[in-house]
Amino acid sequence: MKKKALSLLLSMVVVASTVACGSSARTDSGSGDAAATESGDEGVKEFTAFFAVPGSEINDDNEVQELIAEKTGVKVKETWLTGQTAEEAVGTLIAGGEYPDFIDGGDGMMQLYEAGALVPLDDYIDSYPNIKAYYTEQEWDSLRQEDGHIYWMNQFQNIKGEDTTCTHNDEAFWIQTRVLEWAGYPEVKTMDQYFDLIESYNEANPTMEDGTENIPYTILCDDWRYFCLENAPEFLDGYPNDGSVIVDPEELKVIDYNTTDTAVAYFKKLNEEYQKGIVDPESFTQTYDEYIAKLSTGRVLGMIDQWWDFAYTAGDAIKSAGLDDQGCMYVPLPITISEDVHNQWHNSGGVLNVSSGLGITTSCEDVEGALQFIDDLLGQEIHNLRFWGVEGVDYEVDEDGVFYRTEEERTNAADTAYKASHICSYSYFPQWCGTSDDGINANMPSDQPQEYYDSLADSVKECLAAYGAQTYVDMLGTNEAPGPWYPMYSYSNNLTTSTDAGVAWNLMGEVKHEYLPKVVMADDFDAAWAEYMEAYNACNPQDFIDAMQTELERRVAEAAKFEE
Amino acid sequence: MKTKIDLNTIKKQKTLLIWGAIITIYGFIFYYLPLAGWLMAFQDYKPKNGILHSTFIGMAKFTRLFSDVSFLKVIRNTLAMGVINLVATFVMAIVFAILLNEVRNVFGKRVVQTISYLPHFLSWIIVTGILHDALSGTGIVNEFLMNFGFIKQNIDFFAHTQYFWPIVAFANVWKETGWNAIIYLAAITSIDPALYEAASIDGAGRWGKIRHVTLPGIKPTIIILLLMNVGNVLNAGFEIQYLLGNGLVQSVSQTIDIYVLKWGISQSDYAIGTAAGIFKSVVSIILIVIANQIAKKSGEERLF
Repeated sequence: MKKKALSLLLSMVVVASTVACGSSARTDSGSGDAAATESGDEGVKEFTAFFAVPGSEINDDNEVQELIAEKTGVKVKETWLTGQTAEEAVGTLIAGGEYPDFIDGGDGMMQLYEAGALVPLDDYIDSYPNIKAYYTEQEWDSLRQEDGHIYWMNQFQNIKGEDTTCTHNDEAFWIQTRVLEWAGYPEVKTMDQYFDLIESYNEANPTMEDGTENIPYTILCDDWRYFCLENAPEFLDGYPNDGSVIVDPEELKVIDYNTTDTAVAYFKKLNEEYQKGIVDPESFTQTYDEYIAKLSTGRVLGMIDQWWDFAYTAGDAIKSAGLDDQGCMYVPLPITISEDVHNQWHNSGGVLNVSSGLGITTSCEDVEGALQFIDDLLGQEIHNLRFWGVEGVDYEVDEDGVFYRTEEERTNAADTAYKASHICSYSYFPQWCGTSDDGINANMPSDQPQEYYDSLADSVKECLAAYGAQTYVDMLGTNEAPGPWYPMYSYSNNLTTSTDAGVAWNLMGEVKHEYLPKVVMADDFDAAWAEYMEAYNACNPQDFIDAMQTELERRVAEAAKFEE
Repeated sequence: MKTKIDLNTIKKQKTLLIWGAIITIYGFIFYYLPLAGWLMAFQDYKPKNGILHSTFIGMAKFTRLFSDVSFLKVIRNTLAMGVINLVATFVMAIVFAILLNEVRNVFGKRVVQTISYLPHFLSWIIVTGILHDALSGTGIVNEFLMNFGFIKQNIDFFAHTQYFWPIVAFANVWKETGWNAIIYLAAITSIDPALYEAASIDGAGRWGKIRHVTLPGIKPTIIILLLMNVGNVLNAGFEIQYLLGNGLVQSVSQTIDIYVLKWGISQSDYAIGTAAGIFKSVVSIILIVIANQIAKKSGEERLF
């Protein structure tokens, strides 16, 4: 009897669950049908896109996306990288052989090219005026691959009109404004001064206002983001971000920054600070998420990072928690190895990273439609819709035609839920920086000087004022791009292990990943450094340096053609 | 002796034959057809050309594989973690099943059993998240050790190579012990109660009954499972090492699967990835045959 009751119960559970599944499946398919017919009515074409960077998906009924779809007749479903590296994601796509219509494979772009997954764009470009105007002839040429075709266009840092950049979107030594305020806004120009300041602040104020202990200095070292640890020596020596090597602009010679005296000094300093307990002991084992969580609490006094890597996550979190009132927001400092070295943390003008960009795949059935959409997105009206939003809802226009945002609109623009339901910037499609066609406004709200300044926290404004600066860029000073080869990382990013240089580059990365943390944590720095150098030299770094030198010369020669 | 097959038998066993055919086709499509991909390992494979149009290069990829120091390290890591995991989870599951069997309170037994197998249903990403928190500098393990005076300074468990394998083994034990114990518990229940009674009459205590009744009773199960698991030694894991590893411990954390992902997929050298995969399969087959042979020789249960 008992058994019967049990089996009856079981079968009821089974039936109930199938019914539940069935009904949910029905509702799913129901909404799917509705969407399909709806888009059918309006004649909206749907494309798919994959971007090999982490990003947030927007809601299906996103308002601005619908507006753009009304105007262009196209809607793009964007997906982003989750829990994989760019190369893994791209490798998986290639192995499967089916691609989304649009793709930005990041570091995996070259693999897509080699797999024949991309459509050559050069024959099409001339028919789309906005796309055509997006790059100069020389820039388009630099995007050509070995076979002479253009397969992708980089989407970023392309300046139209006047350069009004206010944010230092790049790498720097960052420090919280409370540290500077406490010390009376001193000049901080060298690495030694920077760490002395952090040390003495931490000694005087070991905790935050609520009693949480400060973390004086942390280092992000997770996977490819270990640039926060490894590439500072090039900046400390006063060179710009060529990424993988230093280029001597006088002699046009490639220098390995991993073995310079500055590199030794920098890691020795980190080692000393680690022994003193200034460097966060969790630095080398924390994941990116843990790092962002740490920064978001406002406990971390300083670190090296790229602005885009923390500002839109941890920076926004600090703002919405009101911690900026306690001086927990970060400002960049112009730090080099010694005071007589001029810093080049910030470069003006656009940077064309030829190693990756937006491409159209062979799976795309309507290449012309896809390109037309890119062309439309670059039109000023839609461009404003993407980055400023809807007039009267996301921004206001004053009597001179200048765009500005109210406090509420600003809060909305940083709010995740609002962003998902309302804002659609198609952020990995080509976009303009600089000023817009009206000659008054910036293409991006963050580049609109007044709007930018108004959006800063009072503590940051005060700090900038103390240094006689208006923007983050003023904190560092700006420099012209060093030469036509810049940036060299656009070459090293795409090295594959099919060449000796690529193998060396890969092994070097692996060795640095393992030994640099060891060097920083070592009790005996000199011995650890010697061990590191031995492992490093075993990777044949010269193969890599030679290839970079060849590429440098090729780029210089290429640029010379256009000067004639 | 051969049985004659006539139409009648076929008719009688119609259902059986249809099912048999379906399974055979399924097996062929999903287990044997993909093996054609092994051709890649002997080619200079380019996705653009596909298997049909890539050039054959013989054993070159294998030669490169075995001259790569990091691959040898990866084999060592895989074998070491595989063996540690196998021994730890295997022993723990048997011990746990026997202990649970000795619990007299039925309610308590049920509760413990249910709780113990729940971790099996967690995905590795969650387990590694928990581990990362628990073992971090400010995590519960360090707090505990500090408060009870075992250590003076926080230990950064993920920064030192010597902790990595034990952490992986512990995670496997925690996650799988309860689940693996189920099959032994089932085997124990099938032991004839008369044997226990007889043992009691002969004066066996609890230990005696475990040693002379329970263990021999589940011996066939133990051996079959051991055989199956030996073939799995090289599947030492992928997610846990991938998720817990970092630059500092990469020399002990990377397994063959991670190597395949890194070189095969990320660097798009599918040929070398396939070669590493073939190596893994061949070694697994050899291991399982050896284990089976040993079992056969000693007159125990065996797989084939």
